[in-house]
Amino acid sequence: MHHELLVMLLADSRLPVAGHTQSGTVEAALAHGLTTHDVPAYLQTRLRSVTLVEAGTAVVARHVTRAGGRPDDVDRAWAARTPSPALRQASRGQGRALKHLAGKLWPEALVPLVGLAAPSRATVLGTVAGHLGLGPGSLARLIGYDDVQTVCSAVLKLAPLDPAVASGWVAAALPEVAALADQVADLTVPDRIPAVGCPQIEVWAEAHAVTSRRLFRA
Amino acid sequence: MPDHSPDSHTAAPSAAPSAAPSAAPSASPSGRPLRVGVCGPVGTGKSSIIATLCRELAPTLELAVVTNDIYTDEDARFLRSAGVLDAQRIRAVETGACPHTAIRDDITANLLTVEELEEEYPALDLVLVESGGDNLTATFSPALVDAQIFVLDVAGGGDVARKGGPGIERADLLVVNKTDLAPYVGVDVARMISDASAVRSTRPVIGLSRTDRASIADLLAWVSTTLDRHRSGVLVPQDPGPMARHVHAHQH
Ligand SMILES: Nc1nc2c(ncn2[C@@H]2O[C@H](COP(=O)(O)OP(=O)(O)OP(=O)(O)O)[C@@H](O)[C@H]2O)c(=O)[nH]1
Ligand SMILES: [Mg+2]
Repeated sequence: MHHELLVMLLADSRLPVAGHTQSGTVEAALAHGLTTHDVPAYLQTRLRSVTLVEAGTAVVARHVTRAGGRPDDVDRAWAARTPSPALRQASRGQGRALKHLAGKLWPEALVPLVGLAAPSRATVLGTVAGHLGLGPGSLARLIGYDDVQTVCSAVLKLAPLDPAVASGWVAAALPEVAALADQVADLTVPDRIPAVGCPQIEVWAEAHAVTSRRLFRA
Repeated sequence: MPDHSPDSHTAAPSAAPSAAPSAAPSASPSGRPLRVGVCGPVGTGKSSIIATLCRELAPTLELAVVTNDIYTDEDARFLRSAGVLDAQRIRAVETGACPHTAIRDDITANLLTVEELEEEYPALDLVLVESGGDNLTATFSPALVDAQIFVLDVAGGGDVARKGGPGIERADLLVVNKTDLAPYVGVDVARMISDASAVRSTRPVIGLSRTDRASIADLLAWVSTTLDRHRSGVLVPQDPGPMARHVHAHQH
């Protein structure tokens, strides 16, 4: 199989998994005082906290399901490391969207998830990636890259900005994405998934969940 | 820490027995309710039409509504405050500033919300989906809705219908709304409707006003016919298409 092409498919914002409804909490961050100037630092903070947890979860879910196991414990480990209900809910919504698509494209990929209620996006993506034969490094880079693109494209909708500047932020964040992947690629058990929260992002995510003026779901 | 799934806090109240004719979910071959999309430019009266449908149909049918607001959940709140339907049955979807995408090329957020409502209210007969009002070109994917209503209003000018476009020409129903305003905006309603009919071949057009009972009856009759066709399995979702098809009316 063409693993590189499959990664491109999964990373493409045109994949119908409701990616356009997500901002990576940057909508709330901008509403609460973050400036566009701060976005590169915001990306780095995410890659070292919430996104690191997501990537670690996906990598372990991939490993466990490829070995014939079920990812229930992996999903629980993710939930324990994601204290914000709003972030958990957003991830579960994305997990459901991805399951919906994968159920049409690769139905067998979902077998390990049968009976698992509302798995996180990381758990679903890791399971699907395992089925497709993607390596753990590719999977972790996919998660990091997607997070960076999600934030940057949302900023373009929210703040006046030259789109090339946002692409420049993405390019500049790539080494950090690679570093994230190196950190989690070898994980195999739920206990080793990094447990690094980011209270400020969690507070913003909670505030966003209750506002009635927003463009993005989360 | 007990960690509930996002949906678990909204347990469905036991469905009230419906007086609707053959309201059982098994009534349609697809085993699910009819899904009707309501789209059209900003402010033409989409939410008002949905409120009217809820008010008129709620006594006999099990209904739910999904709104796609551009920046707020105002449409959902308007409908909830109209008191025409249990607030839990009205859900808003955020579109990330992409109202077209959400009904056309990535329908996931809408589809999942519709499915969520269908799971929570198994006796549903009809789910109405309001698009984020934007412009003349947005239409629903047939993968999201079984039938769609495109809404224009007379205040947008009498020429709009004649100019056509995918929704105007090929939506299952075209509504020319707010006919009561025609005298104030200098629009000839009969002319506007005949212009619209001319570009729609046999597809129906209704001139509607909330103050005109007969026009509301026409709208309800269309919904009823469409529901019957859905239940008997003959309704095939039609795609108005993103582009106006060029029709050669002249002789070659
Ligand atoms: N005169 C008149 N006004 C109407 C009628 N139907 C709706 N309106 C008014 O038209 C305005 C817009 O109606 P909405 O139902 O909010 O329109 P909408 O298409 O949902 O608007 P957006 O969701 O913002 O695109 C409101 O002020 C309504 O009261 C009608 O039949 N006659
Ligand atoms: Mg509206």
